[in-house]
Amino acid sequence: MLTVALQQGINGLVLGSLYVLVALGLTLIYGVLVQINFAHADIVTLGAFSSYFFTHALGGGYLPSIAVALLVGAALGFLINAAVFAPLRERGNELLPLIATIGVSVMMENVMLAWFGPIPYAFDSPYSDQVIRFGGIFFTAQSVLIIVVSTAAIGLLYAFMKFTFLGKALRAVAQDRETAGLMGINPNRLIMLTFVIASALAGMGGAMLGPVLVLTPFAGASVIVKAFAIVIIGGFGNVEGTIIAGLIVGLIESYTTQLLGPGLIDIVVFALLLLMLAVRPTGLIAERREENV
Amino acid sequence: MSVTPAIFRASGLSKNFGGVRAVKDVSLAVAPATVFAIIGPNGAGKSTLLNLISGVHAPDAGTMAFDDLDVTDLSPHARVRHGLARTFQKIRLFKQLSVLDNVLAGFHARHRIPAWQYVWHGAAFRADRARCRAEAAELLTFVGLAGRAQALAGALSYGEQRMLEIARALATAPRLLLIDEPAAGLNAAEVEALLERIRVLRERGMTVIIVEHNMDLVMNVADRVLVMDYGELLFEGTPAEVQVHPRVIAAYLGAEP
Amino acid sequence: MSNADFATAGRARWWGILAAACIIAVLPLIFRDSYWRTNLIVCALNVMLAIGLDFVVGYAGQLNLGQSAFYGIGAYVSTLLIMRLGPPFWPAFACGVAASAVSGMALSLFAVRLRGHYLAIASLGFAVITYQVLLNWISLTQGPLGIYGIAPPPPLALPGLPAIDFTDLANLFYLVAGFALLAYMLLDQLVRSPVGETLTAIREDEVSAASLGMNCRAWKVFAFAVGSAVAGGAGCFYAGFVGTLVPDAFFITESFTILAMVIVGGMGTLSGPVFGAILLTVLPEFLRGIGDLRLIVYGLALTLVVLFMPGGIAQALRVARSRLAGSSPRQTAGAEP
Repeated sequence: MLTVALQQGINGLVLGSLYVLVALGLTLIYGVLVQINFAHADIVTLGAFSSYFFTHALGGGYLPSIAVALLVGAALGFLINAAVFAPLRERGNELLPLIATIGVSVMMENVMLAWFGPIPYAFDSPYSDQVIRFGGIFFTAQSVLIIVVSTAAIGLLYAFMKFTFLGKALRAVAQDRETAGLMGINPNRLIMLTFVIASALAGMGGAMLGPVLVLTPFAGASVIVKAFAIVIIGGFGNVEGTIIAGLIVGLIESYTTQLLGPGLIDIVVFALLLLMLAVRPTGLIAERREENV
Repeated sequence: MSVTPAIFRASGLSKNFGGVRAVKDVSLAVAPATVFAIIGPNGAGKSTLLNLISGVHAPDAGTMAFDDLDVTDLSPHARVRHGLARTFQKIRLFKQLSVLDNVLAGFHARHRIPAWQYVWHGAAFRADRARCRAEAAELLTFVGLAGRAQALAGALSYGEQRMLEIARALATAPRLLLIDEPAAGLNAAEVEALLERIRVLRERGMTVIIVEHNMDLVMNVADRVLVMDYGELLFEGTPAEVQVHPRVIAAYLGAEP
Repeated sequence: MSNADFATAGRARWWGILAAACIIAVLPLIFRDSYWRTNLIVCALNVMLAIGLDFVVGYAGQLNLGQSAFYGIGAYVSTLLIMRLGPPFWPAFACGVAASAVSGMALSLFAVRLRGHYLAIASLGFAVITYQVLLNWISLTQGPLGIYGIAPPPPLALPGLPAIDFTDLANLFYLVAGFALLAYMLLDQLVRSPVGETLTAIREDEVSAASLGMNCRAWKVFAFAVGSAVAGGAGCFYAGFVGTLVPDAFFITESFTILAMVIVGGMGTLSGPVFGAILLTVLPEFLRGIGDLRLIVYGLALTLVVLFMPGGIAQALRVARSRLAGSSPRQTAGAEP
């Protein structure tokens, strides 16, 4: 009984760390720009497809394909910021960028659908089959890989934000863009950097999610819904909160799949999200801030 | 406590923002048809106090009464229906709407239209519309914006926008008007025009609470002045008393009391 | 604007409505084949969905991504009522509309403290949950297998006239388009009254609006109730029109499609989304190519409009009209440089 619970716990952490990778990108962008990139999901999907084609069509190794997906993600982040967010920055309407990215997302998904077709691709990573046994618990090498890579990426990002000058500059821009600009920081370049990092993480997450999920053009969409939930539960712009929330959601999903079946997971996660929004919209960890008008 | 009638009373108001005591135990009583000024150095808590009075923030402690009615827990929009209106320190006009549309929005609580006539615009609807527009035109003339009705609010000069905000607040037919730092950014002529209008409003029986930095304006129009410092009530009295009060001078100049 | 100007504008609007009614009357006579008549009905449904959404998004300023859910709730509630309990069509229709309205109010009450992005995600969450419920509650909705054999509205017997049979697509079009026109007129009247002023004020600045006596929470709930009621009505007609009900028809993509119609048409104008709905319904017919080219077109149109002409077709028409009139598009009365 305990081993089953532990096994599901491990699975939950694996899933959770992938969700964290995806959600971190969203929260970073929101933190620095107060905007949501709705096409974030599709960057995840394209990351997965890049990794797939690199390994299956070009015969490359799986590990290098993760790097490829990272680069693809970074490039997409660059493009979307340059084409959509930067031009709309002047307008001042806070919802137009979200709407524009909804359009981008719909476009990307359906272009992928036209190009790749609706039939799921069988994405086998060479690590999916290797099983490691620890006590009564089974890990696939893929799970270990996911946890190692995710933890490394998240750890690096965390260190970057806390200890490097650029990281602090990013947080400065998030808090007060004008003042940061006056301090000699170029907010636009930093915003671009944020996009690139966020989307690179998404691409990387896609590459690792590919073997785990059903790989279709809508793969990212199935994850994004949970990523939104995670970002809201953890608090928009709050890196620590997102990490904790992501792991929690992963655990919830892992435990409820056995009890409820996959269809109801979305309902549970979303009900949790709606509950969170009702009770504490700023997230688990963020403080409530009242503004003077 | 004095026994003079007060249109607005506050007792022991306090407000913290995450550890910062913005307002600490402030009490005041405002007599009807007077101008009551709240002054103090930057960060004294004046705007927070105004936000408490208008209901934007809920106080952590203390009570408020408007015409002897307890309004402590009343939301901002409910206070408007009792006759309280306000303007904002950072101008909050509907910049994408016309000058006229801004003022018309102020009539929200005063429409006399049966519900079904919102769908079928009958006689009462048309009469109400005519009445609102006529009164809006008067208000625009009062604040010196006659003839600018169709201009975009965002295209007005800063001083004109301030006056528009006042006209819009007046459209709610208030008995108590809160004005938040109206003279900021105005030139001398505009300040004089503002002063004139506040005097006229007082003559017509309006009570005005004004938060202000500009000492000249305050001394020239206020009946009573409340001085705040570090969230606390430093002194309350007539303008003449305030001008010579040593602690007030110290607070503004930063000397030790 | 003087009262005389208002009278003129009012009369112009009535002429516009009359023109629309005439066009509606004539369309099935021009398009006699069932393929195009089907498209016309879809147009009418989309018009209802779009103007309902515009009321919430364009006027009240609430980014509602849950319109697909209200569409589906109206369809399923009315259909299930008829099939399980057997009331006649019109009471079931009323229930479907009411169910959607109540759902909309619930979502809005729930999300009432939420700022733009949070509300958008909450409404998306609601749409996802609704879809999953429709998909998974098999004992109630038959899930992905769907409900078959749904009858169109029963024949309408008006005194002195032969009964109007709604299995005839032309008659069904008149019914749906008639309702769409009624819905438009209702929303138009509301928007041109202090109700519209209130919603606009709330959209522009809620703190300001509250300082003028507006109960922002109540009005947002009202806007949602109206917008989702209209969507629910469209859903009830959809069920009888298509004859089959599957959850996939109400997937969240539908929300994005309706949003695209509103934005492309011009949000906050009510007439814009009418054209947006018609354009985006009809345009793909001329682009008969790969299956989901339709959605690529919607996505592209949405993105381009937001980037280059955020006011949509309505803005383009305004610009064109003032260019033709020879004056500059900006306000002329005393604007500061």
